[in-house]
Amino acid sequence: MLLALAVAFSAGALRQYAYWGANGPGPAFLPFWLGLVMAVLATMLLVGALRTKDPGASWLPSGEGVRRLAFVLGATIAYVALLNLLGMVVATVLFLIVLMRALDRCGWPLTLAVALATAGSIYFVFGRWLKVPLPTGVLGF
Amino acid sequence: MDFFSNLMLGFSVALTPFNLMMAVVGVLLGILIGALPGVGPPSGVALLLPLTFGMDPTSGIIMLAALYAGTMYGGTITAVLINTPGESASVVTCLDGHQMALQGRAGPALGIAAFGSFIAGTIGVVLLMLVSPALARWSLAFGPPETFALMLLGLTTVTLLAGDSPVKTYISMVFGLMLAMVGFDVISGEARFAFGIPEMMDGIDFLPVAIGLFGLGEVLAGAETKGGALVKGRYGLRDVMPTAADWVRSRWAIARGTALGFAVGILPGAGPTIATFMSYTLEKKVSKHPEEFGRGAIEGVAAPESANNAAATGAMVPMLTLGIPGSATTAIMLGGLMMWGLRPGPLLFEKNPQFVWGLIASQYIANVMLLVLSTAFIPLFVRALRVPYAVLMPIIIALCVTGSYSLKNSVWDVGQMLVFGVLGYAMKKLGYSPAALVLALVLGPLAERALRQSLIISDAGIGIFFLRPIAAVLVSAALLAVLVPLARSLWSAWRRRGEAPRLA
Repeated sequence: MLLALAVAFSAGALRQYAYWGANGPGPAFLPFWLGLVMAVLATMLLVGALRTKDPGASWLPSGEGVRRLAFVLGATIAYVALLNLLGMVVATVLFLIVLMRALDRCGWPLTLAVALATAGSIYFVFGRWLKVPLPTGVLGF
Repeated sequence: MDFFSNLMLGFSVALTPFNLMMAVVGVLLGILIGALPGVGPPSGVALLLPLTFGMDPTSGIIMLAALYAGTMYGGTITAVLINTPGESASVVTCLDGHQMALQGRAGPALGIAAFGSFIAGTIGVVLLMLVSPALARWSLAFGPPETFALMLLGLTTVTLLAGDSPVKTYISMVFGLMLAMVGFDVISGEARFAFGIPEMMDGIDFLPVAIGLFGLGEVLAGAETKGGALVKGRYGLRDVMPTAADWVRSRWAIARGTALGFAVGILPGAGPTIATFMSYTLEKKVSKHPEEFGRGAIEGVAAPESANNAAATGAMVPMLTLGIPGSATTAIMLGGLMMWGLRPGPLLFEKNPQFVWGLIASQYIANVMLLVLSTAFIPLFVRALRVPYAVLMPIIIALCVTGSYSLKNSVWDVGQMLVFGVLGYAMKKLGYSPAALVLALVLGPLAERALRQSLIISDAGIGIFFLRPIAAVLVSAALLAVLVPLARSLWSAWRRRGEAPRLA
C-alpha cells in the first residue's frame, strides 16, 4: 500500500545520509531528519490502519469510472508524447477532438469549434503574445 | 504622511490602462473559475501564472490578486443556484444560500453576497495597508533563527488547511519538503537526489507540481462521472438587490464576518475556507433566531461571504511581509513572486514600493469592479455554467499542458505535471492535502537555508531557537500546533479502541 512507499522513501533519505559537513550541518542534514519524521508518521498511519481492521475501502472507482479515468489519462499521455512530433497546435486540436467525441459524444460542430478555438487561443496568447516557443513538430507550425 | 504618498504612488501604478485592464480580466476570469465546479482558486492561479511571465511583475500580481478576489465570489453563484460550491470557501454558503434560492430568493442571496464581499474586501484592503508595513518593519529584526521559527510555524499550522487526519496532512507536508530537497543544495552546491538526470538537478519546480496537483488532479477526479451541471432560470440586475429588511439583518453579520475573516486570513495556514466555517458558527451563536439557520437565513450567506473575501485579503499580509503564505492560493502566488525574482519579506516594501503599493491600490479597484461586474453580469455567468463538463475538461487539460510547458519551454516539466496530476488525484481520493504539499515545496528551500545558517551560527546547538525571545515564542507555538492535533487524534483512537470490544 501507500505506507510501504512512505517507509521506502524515508529509507532512501536515510541512505543518502552520508555527510555531516566540516563546519556545520551538511547537505544531508535536513533530509535525514525528514526521513525520520516520515518514518514515524508512516508508522503511525500503519498502526492506525491495522487497528481499525478495516480492509481499506477501495478508493478507485469501479467499472465505468475507471474506464473514463483511464481513457482521459491515456489520451493526456498520448497528447504530451505527441507534442514534439506534431507540434502544440495540431496535438491540441487532436486531443480535444478525441476526448470530446469518444468520451462524451459531443456533436461534430461543437467539437470542432471548441477544439479550434482552444488551440487558436493557446497559439495566439502563448505563442504570439507571450512569445513562448511552442513545440512546432514536423508540420512546421 | 508618507503613507498617503505611498498610496498615491500605488494608485498611479494601478490606474495605468494596462493594469486596469488586467484587474478587469482577473476579476472576470476569477468569477468564471470560481463558478465552475472542479477548478478552485489555487488551480486558477496556477493555470494563469504562466500567462503572467511575459508581463511586468506588478501587472501579473494585480491580475492574480483580482482573480483571487473574483473566485471568492464566483463560487457563491453555484453554491446558491445549484447547491454545488464552486470552491471550498463557498461550502458554507450552500447551507442557507441554496435554501433561499428554493424559496425564490436567489437574487437577494447573490446580491448580499456581492455587497458583503465588496464591503469586506474594501475594509480588508484598508487593514492590509495599515498592518503590513508595521509587520514588515517588525520582521526586519529577524535573523535566520527567527526566520526558521516562523517557517516552522507556517508549516506546522498546515493541519488547519482541512484534511481529515492530521497524520495524513503531515505526511503530505513532509513529502513536499522532501521534494524541495531535490536539486542543488542551497549552501554547499552539491546535487542531491537527482539520480543523474540533468533536469532533476535544478530541483523540482513548484509550478508543474501545483498545476498537476490542483489542475489536472481535480479534472481527473471530475472525469470519473459523466454529465454537466445545468442551471435554469433568469437573473436580472433588479432581482439581485437585497431589500431594506435584508440589509438590516445582515449589517452586523457582514461586520463580524469581515473582522473574523481578516484575522483568520492573516494566520499562516488558515485560509478563507476556515474563516467561512468559523464566521457561520459565530453568526449562529449570536443570532436571536438560530433556528432559521439552514433554512434560508440571509445572515448565513452574508457572514461567510464577507469572511472569505476578508480572509483572501488577509492572507496577503503574511505573504507580502513575511514570505509565508496564508492559504493554498497565496502559496502559489508566493512561488510566482519568487519566479519573478522578487523576494517577499520585509525588504519588499523598501525595495519595490511600486509593486507593493500598486498591488494594494489595485485591490481597491478590484473590489469596486467585483461589485459592478458581479451584479451586472450575473445573467452571463449563469449562462457560463451551462457549459458541460465534457467541453470544459479537455480545455482545462490543454491549459495544464501549455501552462507547465511555457515555464521553461520543456516537455520534461509537462511530464512532471502529469505525474503530479495522477498523484493529486490519488491524494484527493485518499484524503491527503495537496495544499500542504505545495506549501512545503515553496517554503522548503528557504526553511532549510535558515535552519542550517542558524545551526552554523550556534555551532550546532539547538538552543538557539529557544534563547532568542521571538524565535522561542514562534517555536513554542509551532510545537503546540503539532502536538495538540496529534494528541487529540491519538486520544480519540485510544478511546475508540476502548469502546470497540463492547460493540463487538
